[in-house]
Formats: sequence, structure tokens, C-alpha cells
Amino acid sequence: MTPAIELLQVSRRFRGSTLPVIAVDHIDLRIEPGEVVALLGPNGAGKTTTLDMVLGLSAPTSGSIKVFGMAPRAAVAAGRVAAVLQTGGLLPDLTVAETVEFIAATYSNPEPVMRVLDLANLSAISSRRVSKCSGGEQQRLRFALALLPRPDLLILDEPTAGMDVNARRDFWAQMHAEAREGRTVVFATHYLEEADDFADRTVLMSGGRIVADGPTEEIRAKATGRWVSADLADPARAIDRFGGQLVAQRFVVRAADSDSVALALLTEFGATNLEVVSGSLEDAFVALTEGAAK
Amino acid sequence: MTLTILKLEIRRVVRDRVRLFFTAIMPAFFYVIFGAAQSYGSIKVAHGNVAMMIMVAMAAYGAVAATASLGAATAIERATGWGRQLGLTPLGDGQYVAIKSALAVVVAIIPITIVSIIGASTDVEATPKAWVLSISILIGGSVLFALYGLVLGQLVRGEAALGAVSGSLVVLSFLGNLFFPLSGGWLTFARFTPLYGYATLARYPVSDGWVVSSDGDPVHEALWMPLTNVAVWLVILAVAATLLVRRSRARQ
Repeated sequence: MTPAIELLQVSRRFRGSTLPVIAVDHIDLRIEPGEVVALLGPNGAGKTTTLDMVLGLSAPTSGSIKVFGMAPRAAVAAGRVAAVLQTGGLLPDLTVAETVEFIAATYSNPEPVMRVLDLANLSAISSRRVSKCSGGEQQRLRFALALLPRPDLLILDEPTAGMDVNARRDFWAQMHAEAREGRTVVFATHYLEEADDFADRTVLMSGGRIVADGPTEEIRAKATGRWVSADLADPARAIDRFGGQLVAQRFVVRAADSDSVALALLTEFGATNLEVVSGSLEDAFVALTEGAAK
Repeated sequence: MTLTILKLEIRRVVRDRVRLFFTAIMPAFFYVIFGAAQSYGSIKVAHGNVAMMIMVAMAAYGAVAATASLGAATAIERATGWGRQLGLTPLGDGQYVAIKSALAVVVAIIPITIVSIIGASTDVEATPKAWVLSISILIGGSVLFALYGLVLGQLVRGEAALGAVSGSLVVLSFLGNLFFPLSGGWLTFARFTPLYGYATLARYPVSDGWVVSSDGDPVHEALWMPLTNVAVWLVILAVAATLLVRRSRARQ
């Protein structure tokens, strides 16, 4: 079967003030039709740059990108792929319905405007000016625009940024419905919970590279380990057994199963001042990136 | 499909009441000062009088100011992310530039019509043929400046674009022989500027190509000169506009 997305050795460099900035560094990625994939990573990981190239909004510096076997721009023109962009602008002086009408007019056979307004729960505010809409309402409008071509692949770049808890929950409920219809959904996020709740597969990006790629539970286990630290009489032996390192005379190790490490340190190594802390997601990214570099 | 978009774009222009007011009124005001109130207006030229020549110049200024500022506004709106939104649709870059150009022509009709009505009801005299041809050239040729605004708006980023457009238009208007007659080296240089070609062409049906120069002797321009000027600028600006619109899909 033709993959929904296929990236081969894709790089993207930008001109920086002194050195070129490598936003995306030789990544390979294959996403099959029907998959729901989270692109997880901190700010600056290269998520948006990658998605922009998949959508044909910018071209890779090197490497090849195919969307349903086509060049990205051709897939967009054919209405196979649509997106809700993080920084997708709207015209403030149009109404909600006019905005949908405008974008609908660019497609040869779009979903009817009324139906799209209904699906995105915008019917009640269809005659409201975009400038008078809240952030959540504008995001729903962007979502409505993405539904117009009845895309096979839906790309969402941090779709819930700026939404409150309720709006976020409603949005993901809507996305579940879209995925059940067999759409391929690829979304960028920096919330591990969003990847966990919604994606079957998570691709972890950091520093322009893919540092982990697999079932979401697996990535979650890697990313949610805890830091265990303690004062030890003989840290070298502990390093031999658990890995980790000495930081300011203290033994520090990152462990997926922190309980058993803590138990062993206390019972077998005579540890004192033991601490177990959960690292932030950023720490996890750093840990995984270092792992990938080795 | 493009008609729906054009309809929505016209609706947006109509909603911006303040800009619409200045678009419509300013060239008429200029004409009243430079043309209608002056005694030399009644001097005869080939197919009309000097008042008609001044009227055409002011209508050209009005049309150019309206279309160029529209082009610059387009560039700004693309930079705010609307360009990315449109980049996710099948709408081609050339198609988009064509829609915006058509919109500009529609908008240019407003000042041209108002100046013409004031001219006709004061002391403008011209043959019916000169009227029809001049007005048609004014309307059609205004496309050039929609493209000019679009190109300059993408080169000068952000809100400074509008200033760059209106400032440069004042300079180009002087070089276009709109406000007072040029001569000598200035005139030679002016012949390569876009507003000179447009305005000279629009006045051609009235003057048969005779241009008043500031040292007194009238200068005759062959028809190919303004035609070539307009054609060359049209190609340059249309290509540049399309290429720059393509670039504005990326994040800025």
C-alpha cells in the first residue's frame, strides 16, 4: 500500500545570523494510511518545519517527501491532505461563514459549507466576524476549513494551543470521530498526555532528529522514568550496575523502574539521603537525545 | 469559484469605510484644485482641452493610489498567516494574483468615476471617443499598480509596506508627469518609470501623444513608447508578484 507520508533523508536548513540553522536533520519517516501518529517534542525540535514540508508550504533542503505517492503540493491540490496550522492566519474582517465559503471556493468539490460549520460546531456563530471570535472559536474555524476537502490525511500542528480544558476535550472527541472514519491523523504536540490519550504511535523529535519512534506506551515508559539520587559509600559499584553518574559527589541515575533501583540502593548499597524525583518531559527529551547520540 | 472569492474580497473592501472614503474623495479633491479651478483648463488640445488632460492625470493618480495600497494590504495580510492558509488549498499563486488584480480594477473604477463625473460637470471637453478610450485605459491599466503594491509589499515587510507604497507613488507621480510637466534629462529618465507609461497612454486619445514640457516646447511621444513601457512593467511585476506570493507560504 502507498504510505500516507514517506520522508527519506529529509533535511531543512535555514540561514542564521552566523551559522546555518539545521531545523531538520536527515530524518526518515513512514506513516501508513489509517495511523494516528503524534509528533512529540519540545519547542524548536523541528516538528512544525517537518509538517510544513509535508504540506508543501516549504521545500526540503535535501531529501525526498511523498504524500500518498505524490509531491506534497500535488497532494494538497488534489484535496488528499489538509491541516490545522498553529500559525494559520484568518482574515479578521470576514465572518465565520464567509471564511469557510472563501476556502471552499478554492476546491472543485468541497464538503458543503453548512455541513462543515455544523461539524465544527460553528453554526451558532456563523455570522460573527472572525475578529470577534475567541481563540478557541478561531481554532474551530481552522478545523472547519481543514474538513472542506474531505482529506484522507489530516495534519494538526499543536491544535489545542490556547484552548481551555473543555474546548480541548471537545476537540479531541471530534478527532476520535475523524480517526474512526479511517483518516490518517498526524499531530504535533508538546504534551505527552495528548500523545498518550490519542495516538497509537509516537514519534519523538529533538534537535531536528527523530530520537524515538514506536507505540505510544513504549515512548511513554522511556519518557516518564524518574531520577534517583543518593549519597553512597561506593558509587563506582552502583554505576557499574545501574549506569548513571556522579553529580556533586552524589550518585544520580535515571530509571524507568525507580522503585526497584531505590530499594536496591537502600538495602544493598547503604544509601543515605535518597531522593526520587520525576523528571520533566524536557529532561526526558534530553536523556533520549543523548541516548540517540551514543 | 474565483467569482465567489472576488465577491468576498469586494465585500471586505466595502467594509473598510474609512479607506474607501479617501480612495474615492482624494483624487477628486486634487482635480478640483489643479484642474477645475484653473483658467488654463480651457486651452484646446488635439481631441479635448487641458482640463481633460489634468482630469485624466488625477484619475490616474486616484486609481494608482487605490490599487497600490490594496496590493500592499494584500502582502501584509499574507504575511500574517493567511498566505499559509491559502497555501493549503489548490488555489494557484498565479490565480490568486489574478483575483487580487481583478479586485483592484473594480476598486479603481470608484475614483475614476468620481473624478470623471466632476470633470464632465465642470469644464472638461473631449470627443466621445477620447472619453471612452481614456477611461478604458485608466481602468484596465490600473492592474499594473495592484501588482506594484503587491511586489513592494512583499519586499518591504510588515506595516512599513504601506508607507513605502504611498511614498514611492508620490515620486512616481511626479515622474509620471501627473502634477507638473517635466523636461530634459528628467523627462528622459521618467520615460522608464511605470506611471509615465500608464498616464501617457491614458492621455494619448486626448492629446495624440503631445506632452507639455516645462521649458515650453511640446514634446511628441510615439505610441509605441508608452505601450512598451506598460507591457514591460506588466510582465516584470506579474512575474515578481507570483514568485513572491509563492514565497509567502512559508512561516515569517
